Amino acid sequence: MALLEVKNLSIDLGEFHLRNISLTVEKKDYLAVIGPTGSGKSVLLEAIAGFYPTKAGRIILDGRDITTLPPEKRGISIVYQDFMLFPHLNVFDNIAFGLRKITSSKVEIEREVKTIAEKLHIDHIFHRKVSTLSGGEKQRVAIARALVVRPRILLMDEPFSALDEKTRENLRAIVKKAVREYDTIHDTAVVHVTHDFEDVFALANKVVVMNAGKVVQIGTVEDIFCKPTSDFVADFVGTNFVRGKVLESSDITAVRVGNVVIYTTDVAKPGIEVTLSIRPEAIILARELGESSAQNILPARVMKIRKRGHLLWLILDVDGLMLRAVITPNAAELLGIKEGVKLYTMFKASNVRVVG
Amino acid sequence: MERLNFRILTISVAFLFTFFLFATIATLFFLQKPNEIIKALKSDEMIFSLKLSLLTAFLSTILVILTGILIGYALSRFDFPGKSIVKSILDLPMAFPELVLGLALLLLFGSTPIGNALSNLGIRIVFTKLGIVVAQFFTALPYAVREIYAAFEEINPRYELVARSLGYTEFETFRKVTLPMAKNGLLASTVISFARSIGAFGAVLILAGGNYMNTEVLPITLYLNISYGNVGMAITSGIVLVVISFAAILSLEKLGERNGPVRS
Ligand SMILES: Nc1ncnc2c1ncn2[C@@H]1O[C@H](COP(=O)(O)OP(=O)(O)OP(=O)(O)O)[C@@H](O)[C@H]1O
Ligand SMILES: [Mg+2]
Repeated sequence: MALLEVKNLSIDLGEFHLRNISLTVEKKDYLAVIGPTGSGKSVLLEAIAGFYPTKAGRIILDGRDITTLPPEKRGISIVYQDFMLFPHLNVFDNIAFGLRKITSSKVEIEREVKTIAEKLHIDHIFHRKVSTLSGGEKQRVAIARALVVRPRILLMDEPFSALDEKTRENLRAIVKKAVREYDTIHDTAVVHVTHDFEDVFALANKVVVMNAGKVVQIGTVEDIFCKPTSDFVADFVGTNFVRGKVLESSDITAVRVGNVVIYTTDVAKPGIEVTLSIRPEAIILARELGESSAQNILPARVMKIRKRGHLLWLILDVDGLMLRAVITPNAAELLGIKEGVKLYTMFKASNVRVVG
Repeated sequence: MERLNFRILTISVAFLFTFFLFATIATLFFLQKPNEIIKALKSDEMIFSLKLSLLTAFLSTILVILTGILIGYALSRFDFPGKSIVKSILDLPMAFPELVLGLALLLLFGSTPIGNALSNLGIRIVFTKLGIVVAQFFTALPYAVREIYAAFEEINPRYELVARSLGYTEFETFRKVTLPMAKNGLLASTVISFARSIGAFGAVLILAGGNYMNTEVLPITLYLNISYGNVGMAITSGIVLVVISFAAILSLEKLGERNGPVRS
């Protein structure tokens, strides 16, 4: 049985509507929610937490209809981008806040707070005022506060956005471990709103893409990034993502993707499946083969041409593999690019990244 | 050059005004001989008035803060039909001359159905000590509501949502999160309410009557004695009023400092 089922959920906020949202979260799932700003990601999260009255649809948690249940009865915790630590409580009391509603045993509270704090490496700052903490510490306290009550679902709204890249990376690893090691009771699932695809690749097994209050695609990370089902998702994802198997990795790594082999300068273990990213502007087009420093030279056919601003986006069929490239109208004219035209794509191995 | 002149003008006005304010207060304190002030302080009338002032202002401050918290919270956190009407009516007494407010209260608690119903219950407001509290309450409440509303508005509702998600009901969240976080605003509004209450004059005079040694609070003492030409008593009650207000502000500021500013 699914842990969380959102069925045809609609929410009316006056000027903004969530429309007909359906999604399923299994136990231990790590669901990433992505989409442009204002698409309703935060509203969706807060609707799951029970902060908005629903206009239509149902929310089922563990087989129980919780659509009209108040937030305090749901067993769903939330973590925000700007921490929302209670300024009148110290670190320990912030973490213990929810526990105090569950037990009044001081010993138990102390033990639970310690356990989670150790996992998040914040057990040395219990008596600090929250205003004296660094951003990374604040967010770890907020996550500890959310996890210590052992929620069914942990909701996180851009939890790492206010932190610098190094802290972010560090926190991703810590959070992943903490969630997995601490969830033994409820098999906690995570729903994580983010603008940073690094979060998705490092943490998620499932992705929801939202636009204008609707879910436009839901699937595995591979589905979303390698097989976008709409122009919108493809555009939003932006970069080309492809998935394949590592053939060999010496000076250069060869990855078999469908019928073609793509070379990258990143290293990966032979035999494993990896996702590669190739930025559309890194793909060079040519009518004929010439001398080039590009390791990847592949014949392709122009499937579609779309105008976006001043630039042209091409959908290329590279022996069954769909790649997107971007060129200027001038270049397109020079090369005589039309739909159906055959040409060569070239890109350097150093422009191909192994992302997951 | 012109800019410099303008700058000198603005700064001079600021200093001039400060000087006059200071001079005013100084006159109040130094025009009277100390032994006469002490004599006036020891008079039965002054002691009665001081006690009644402290008692009524204390009571109305409590009532104002409790009511203000409820109204401020409702206005800040909930949408309800007629909200904007409630908001502007609450602001009305601020633009209302105090005397007119007193008159309106006098009429309301006189022989209207409301006044009759209350007096049937044995609650007499017109020309009584209770009337003082009522008049002070209505004078101070709008200011307190403003202040408390602003304090609640400053708190991101997501703090409350976090508490709710951690198992706290709406009311528990209000007690454990919203109130503590609004503490500084609440302290400030307590000072304002107390100062407003103890200094309230017009509405108190009309509704409670300003009876010698009966419904006589400090501003009334000042007024009654000025009208009798009893300047010493009038000045002394003025001094007492100023000292009490300053003391209230200072003590609450100290209290706020000790608890530290609330900020995340
Ligand atoms: N309580 C509310 N009442 C009315 N409208 C709201 C409310 N909360 C959010 N909205 C509106 O709903 C829309 C979606 O907001 P939401 O915060 O969910 O976007 P988002 O996808 O999280 O964007 P971002 O990536 O910028 O965080 C916005 O237009 C916002 O103004
Ligand atoms: Mg958001």
